[in-house]
Amino acid sequence: METKQPLEQKSFSLPLGPIHVALEEPMYFKLDLEGEKVKHVDITSGHVHRGMESIATKRNFFQNVVLTERVCSLCSNSHPLTYCMVIENLAGIEVSKRAQALRIMAEEIKRVASHLFNVAILTHVVGYKSLFMHMMEVREIMQDVKETIYGNRMNISANCIGGVKYSINLELLDFIEKSIARTEKHIKEIIDIFRTDKMLLRRTTNVGYISAEDVIKYGLVGPVARGSNVNIDTRRDAPYLIYDELDFDVITETGCDVHSRAMVRLRETLESIKIIKQLIRNMPEEGELHVLLPHIPAGEAMARSEAPRGELFYYVHTDGTDMPLRLKWRVPSYMNWEGLGVMMKDCEVADVALIVNSIDPCVSCTER
Amino acid sequence: MNQNQNNTQELVELIKDTFEKTDFPKLTWTTNKYNNMYAWLRLENVSDLTKAAEVLQGLHARLCTVSAYTEDRSIEAKRRAIAYHFAIKSVLLCVTIQIYDKETLEPLEVPSITPYFRNADWNEREFMEMYNIKIINHPNPKRLFLDESLDAGIMTQLIPFSSMVHGTGSKDLWEQVMLEKIGHVPASFQEQCKEPSFTKVEETAKEAPKPQTEEKE
Repeated sequence: METKQPLEQKSFSLPLGPIHVALEEPMYFKLDLEGEKVKHVDITSGHVHRGMESIATKRNFFQNVVLTERVCSLCSNSHPLTYCMVIENLAGIEVSKRAQALRIMAEEIKRVASHLFNVAILTHVVGYKSLFMHMMEVREIMQDVKETIYGNRMNISANCIGGVKYSINLELLDFIEKSIARTEKHIKEIIDIFRTDKMLLRRTTNVGYISAEDVIKYGLVGPVARGSNVNIDTRRDAPYLIYDELDFDVITETGCDVHSRAMVRLRETLESIKIIKQLIRNMPEEGELHVLLPHIPAGEAMARSEAPRGELFYYVHTDGTDMPLRLKWRVPSYMNWEGLGVMMKDCEVADVALIVNSIDPCVSCTER
Repeated sequence: MNQNQNNTQELVELIKDTFEKTDFPKLTWTTNKYNNMYAWLRLENVSDLTKAAEVLQGLHARLCTVSAYTEDRSIEAKRRAIAYHFAIKSVLLCVTIQIYDKETLEPLEVPSITPYFRNADWNEREFMEMYNIKIINHPNPKRLFLDESLDAGIMTQLIPFSSMVHGTGSKDLWEQVMLEKIGHVPASFQEQCKEPSFTKVEETAKEAPKPQTEEKE
């Protein structure tokens, strides 16, 4: 007669994805379990591979600004920005201070919206529906800002090679100032909830642990690294645009868990608001918004920026024609996926979706 | 000069000193308008890659990414190269190797740098399947994006849908199809291409300013 084995002693494999209610984008996880504990995770990707880097070599330099904006919607400003920067590095193009300030304005508005979205999804995953709805409403303020300033909620089309495609007047600056004041008040309340709410703390602390040593070993970046007290931020470490003239702190947390990564993102939104306030007060009035159609010489160049999810890297190799011979980009999620193997080791199967969300994964970015 | 620039200058000196003690070719340095520093190293032998990885590991470099590419746009595109991009704090360093025999153009195998940089794993797997580059001693050489049933490098053999539907691509497209199917473009097709509907509009050269990027020794 067959005896029933208790669940906690059973070993089995559990497939998760590629289409799953807890995943925002398609990714397949094969989880090896012992009882309800995850012992090993195997990631299979490629479901939304679009060959965008190959397409980029068949478009001219100016068409690629539009193409790179469509890699992913949440980082849709960071991609064309860094692409324009790599082309400007190659061609030696100087961007005016006003255009640089406007680029940062767009980047930080997007960062606030992106971080709020990720942490809102966390509250959704843990079942805190009222906080989820509240956070999405707060994020909506930033969506309104984007729609008002740029005419679109996600792909804001702010950048062009040599500058920006938009300007801003006093009336709009006033609107932004009032909007971020409202957002700031709400975010401070949300941070308090994250610091004190027992249910949130129980579900997110000591979950998805990754040490600073492992972060360095796997080359992880962005809030995932900073949540494990690894103090890296491209805006400060290799300053670009006028970031070196702005006052902001690089936020780190020491918990190395889901809660720390969420706290880094929430606190970073306040730093972004601090940056936006400085830009509103000191927006350079002089300077061309962009340069005339520049010539792009043969050669190679690199550029990087700090996207909401971490360091975004671009490499271009040109042969003197109007199309790149090679355009390569590496998104922060590409680095952070491999950290999941460490974070999920010995976690409860019920925490898998929460841990995946904590790296703020972008599959569209990763697979291109 | 602010604190950041001071630190970068010290770092540049350290990198220069470290590489001068090796047998590698001299580093080339460039900068951009924000005074970020970029170092470029072209290795002559594929076997030098692991030595370079060891030196960079000693400098606490972080592998940013790896870019495989072909050096020309020809259909055969046998001349392949790989650029490895490293960040050493504020400095970016690019190590490039050509992975073909200079005389025969036959492809060369490349040693894995995953033992030195754990995050090279995905990068190497990606160019293995996209460019059909052979890697030696990869710890986990399975597919990353493409299904196992597809040949490695198949993406470079296919005619992209975007080329097919792109109006200007018709002549190039059919030339490519004929080259792949029969190995040459028939004279009769070339005659047809002289008809007005096939004539390409030559691009007029634009006068443009010279690049201003400084190059330093």
